[in-house]
This record gives sequence, C-alpha cells and structure tokens, in this order.
Amino acid sequence: MAGITDLGVGIGWRSEIDLTVERLPGVDFVEVVAENLHIGHLPESVTLLLERGVPVLPHAVSLSLGGADPVDLHRVEHLGKIAEAVGAPMVSDHVCFVRAGGLDSGHLMPVPRTKDALDVLVANVKLAQENLPVPLALENVAALLEWPDGELTEGQFLAELVERTDCWLLVDVANLYANARNIGTDPERFLDEIPLERLAYVHVAGGEQHGDVYHDTHAHAVLPEVLGVLDELCSRVRPPGVLLERDDNYPSDTEIASELAAIRAVVDKYRD
Amino acid sequence: MATPTTAQVARLSAEEAGYLTAGPGRAAETVLARLIDVGAVRVSRDGHVTAVLQHDYQATTSVEARILSYARTPVQFDTIVRSTANCTEMAALHQYLRDRGLVQRPRRGNPVWGLYLAVAFLLVLLSFSAPVVLLGVPVAVAIALWQRGRKAVTAAGKEALRQVTATDRVHAVALHGFCGKINGRPVGELFDLSQSIVRMLPLKQSRKRRSSSDSAGGCGSSCSSCGSGCGSSSCASSSSCSSSGSSCSSGSSCGSGCGGGGGGD
Amino acid sequence: MIGSNDLSSARERLATQQAELLNALLAKGPVPAGFDEQRFDVERRALLSKRRGIVRMLGPAVADELGDRFRPLFDAYAVENPRRAGSRAREDAASFADWCRAAGELSVKRKTRWKFWQSN
Repeated sequence: MAGITDLGVGIGWRSEIDLTVERLPGVDFVEVVAENLHIGHLPESVTLLLERGVPVLPHAVSLSLGGADPVDLHRVEHLGKIAEAVGAPMVSDHVCFVRAGGLDSGHLMPVPRTKDALDVLVANVKLAQENLPVPLALENVAALLEWPDGELTEGQFLAELVERTDCWLLVDVANLYANARNIGTDPERFLDEIPLERLAYVHVAGGEQHGDVYHDTHAHAVLPEVLGVLDELCSRVRPPGVLLERDDNYPSDTEIASELAAIRAVVDKYRD
Repeated sequence: MATPTTAQVARLSAEEAGYLTAGPGRAAETVLARLIDVGAVRVSRDGHVTAVLQHDYQATTSVEARILSYARTPVQFDTIVRSTANCTEMAALHQYLRDRGLVQRPRRGNPVWGLYLAVAFLLVLLSFSAPVVLLGVPVAVAIALWQRGRKAVTAAGKEALRQVTATDRVHAVALHGFCGKINGRPVGELFDLSQSIVRMLPLKQSRKRRSSSDSAGGCGSSCSSCGSGCGSSSCASSSSCSSSGSSCSSGSSCGSGCGGGGGGD
Repeated sequence: MIGSNDLSSARERLATQQAELLNALLAKGPVPAGFDEQRFDVERRALLSKRRGIVRMLGPAVADELGDRFRPLFDAYAVENPRRAGSRAREDAASFADWCRAAGELSVKRKTRWKFWQSN
C-alpha cells in the first residue's frame, strides 16, 4: 500500500460552521462525519470544497469495530460509498465499541486491552477492510475509565493491531493527553510504541479540566499541553496531516483561524 | 418607564421599530439581524443559527440575551424567530411599548361593520318620516366603529415609526423583514442569507384572512411558504388571533427555564 | 492466526464484559468488578450529559416548554430508557417527548402562535 499523501492542516467540517470552513484561510483538507452525510445529496458546502480541490476524508463514529459483535456491514458499506462520493484517499473510525448488550452508549467507549479484545478487533477490522474501497485508519480514543486487567499498553495494543491488519493510524493527540491525565497513559511511551510510519494523520481538539478529570469536549479551546503532545509527535515524525476537531460552542472565525495557525506553527517547526 | 408626551416623538431602537412595523415576529427578526451584524451568531448554509462563543460580547437587550441562549445549540432560522417572537422577553418589550403609548390592545375587525354603517344611513333616511328613529343612529355608528376594530399601533407609534429609516442593514430588517426588499435588493442578501433560508419564515398573512370566514386560504399559503417548521397548528392559531396583547400569555410557556439552555457538565 | 472457535469464544467473553459495562453505565446495573467506582460515576454523568445535550438540540421546543424540569426529567427518562442499539438520536428525542406527555409533564399538542405578524 502506498504512503499517505501530504494533507497539510485541516479542520473537521460541520454543517453549523460550513461557511466558516469555506472562508477560513489555510484549510488544506477537511474531514466529514460519515454518518451525517447521505449518499446522493452531499451538502452544498462539501461539494464546493471538493470543486476547489480540497480533500474530504470521511470519518466514521459508529462502526463499533472494538465491539464483540461482527462489524455491521451496512455501516461499512455506507462509509465506503461516502468515500467514493467524495473521492477520499482513505476513511477512518475508532478503536472503540459503541454498542453492546443491545444498548447504544452514544459515545466512543474504550475496549479492554486484552488478547480477546484484540482478536475480535482484528477480525472486525479485517472484515471492514475487505468491504471498503480505500484504506482504513483507526483512531485512539479518550477514556475516562480504565478497564481492569489490561494485558498491553495502549501503544502496544495499537502496534499489534497495525501489525495484524495493516491498517493506518489516526493519532488524536488530545485523546492521548486526556488518557495521560485520566488513566495515566504515558504519551512519550505511546509514541515510542506505535509504528509511526503507519501514521495517516493527526487529530487535535480542545477540552476542559473538571476537577481531576480532563474532558475531551471538542467544545473548548485547544490546551497548550495538547499542542505540546503534538510537538512531541512532530519531533519524531512529520505527520502527513493534522486536523482540528471542533464540535460545539464554535468560536469566531478569527479564533478558529488562530487555532489552525497555532497547529501549523507546531508542524512547521520541524519542517526543514 | 418613559411616559408618552404629545409634543415629543418617541425614539425607537431597531427592535422596537421592527415591533411597530410588523409585530413580535419582525422584532425577533430584527434582533437576530443585529446579532448576525455584530458576529454574535452565525447562520449556516442550511439555515442553522448558532451562537458564536464570545467572551466579550454582552447582550444589549433581554431579547438579544434570549436569542443567544436559544442559539447555544443550533436552531433552525425560522424556529428561533418564532420562539423569540413568543418569549417572555418579547412580551416585556410589548408591555414597554404599550406603557409608552406606542401600541395598544388591538380589536379584531369584523367585516359586518359596514352593515351597521348602512343601517345608520338607513335610519337617517327613515328619520325623515319618523324622527324618533334618529336616536338609533349614534348607536349604529358606535357599533360600526367598534366592529371595525382598531390597529395595534397607536398614532404616536406611527409617528415614531415615521422617524425611522433603513440607515443600515439591521434597520432594513426592522422595516422590511429578511424576506423584504430594499431598493430592489432582497434584504436577506445584505446578510449573505440565501433565499432558501429567509423563505423559511412565514410570509405576510393575506389581509383577506380577516374577511374570510375560516381563513383557510391565507393559512394554506403561509404554510407552504414556511417549510417544515410551520405546522398546521401555527396556522390555525395565527388566523384566529390578531391580538398582540395575548401573545404575551403564550410567551409564558417559554419562561425563565429556557435561560439555562444547553447547559451540562 | 486464531481459529474460528477461539474467535467466537473471545467474542462471547468480550460481549459479556462490554454488556455489563454498558448496563452499569446506562441502566444503573451493578458496577463490574475492578472499575474505579468514582470514575465510573464521572463516566455515567458524562454519557448522560452528552445524550441530554443531543436530545435538547434535536427537540429545543420540548426543552423550552419543560424549562427547569428538562434536566431532571430527562435524567429520569434516560435511566428508565437506555438507548437501544440501532436506534437513532431523533427517535430518542421523540420518545422522550412521548414519555413526558405520558407523564403529563408536556402539553399534548404544543401550540405555536403567530400573532400580529405581518412579515414582509
């Protein structure tokens, strides 16, 4: 499989800020939430960005690849069709589960870092890959809870996953920071353990500290500490792309632009 | 609150001018226009209004604060105008205008008023043969005047409104609405709002609704123009009521509880 | 490589673990062994708050009408009605509104009134 093309700095396209995304300077690529799009009628704004030549990457949130059940092929098919509709070079989802025991958590839940969970995840990812027209990248999630009896570190778990499925990695540095704060993950060790040559791109997002818990809200400013993790990552590898995710409490265009600029500054620091 | 004087013409804010021009709906449009103007809310291509997270922007009126509170989560353009038109803060604005003598409780006109006038005329004719019938004339005229109804905006209100001109785009909304035109240009365009967004708003209710028995025609047309946000119930109530005063009572249903909208931990 | 038998038993064991976790987080089931109870509560509240926010966004009129009662009512509804796999957020919002109506907390038909309106 060929390497990932240079994506640059991007932002998560959301319908509430469609016009903002269109007029922001320095948006090299965007990501769309695959579940929010319908085949056959893409939002006008997404079509416009495509016409401008801006790459649009579908990002899924509902495959539940880490769930115990075999992956739902209807959802995979939808993701694949969206990828084709926007001519995406790759798609992504998370290393997580969403549904279990007939319930839907409505959120990306961490999977136990056990051999069982890894075997199931690998089987699900392979099935998804077989049914997708483009490569699949998988993202580390933010956890508030740590499963007991983990057999691997998060980095080892992801490294094994890549080894066995040949998937790409989407590293969310905000999630990594959240896990460092909330469940004691060591970001440097994580970055040492994952195969950085399989890095597809990077997510950056804002959050908020509430007492002793960091909430990955995507509704607050990006903390300097999160940019610090990005810096740490960039010092090891030049990421093909870095994307800002903002899902709520959208600030002014100027403020979003300055967050993108701050991200670009970190990336450019290591560019020769 | 200010007391009305005959010598002095009241100065109106844009939202007050909007209210006097076309009621709470227009006032809501005007406040929304102002918030778009200062960049406190953004409108998406599909017509969702969202408050811009701004630590330094302070709402200048309670209606503004209400819209910002509504828009903490994305709200459809027409929904936010409708909710704002019916909120308690708008009722307070109505009361304030009333206290200043700019609006009054309107009385719904009844098309039969002309009939009473005709009766009065007939009585005058009859009085030539039986003068005692003349006593009935003032009664018939009074009934006719009563039946004719009266407008919500007082003479003072109209006078105040005459001083207002569309000097900027916010005032253009106050006087013409987002759906209106100014110098041949759609007002919505001044805000970069597409016609598909501004057309979510219900258009002018046909004046005919006042004379038609059930106003079914006017209702239908207003529904077709305002998209999914406007259910049949809104048509039914809009046609049955022309009193702005009583809109205050319905405002209480969106009382203080809205303030905390969008909160969470 | 792992055999299909190994995989299906791995799926079963994982299914039990994940179902217990979601049942505890979403439907007040017992907290599975080995989890930090305090943190569990934080996660429970976070999930509830996220779901509440989505329902508020999808049904602002209901949230408006309920006012201050929205939050406690939603929280009571949510525990009684954890979201079923395969359901949509819109269905959740609609089912909450129905639940409120059944409990007499919401008027059966919300009237929207346009008065003194002559836009355009």
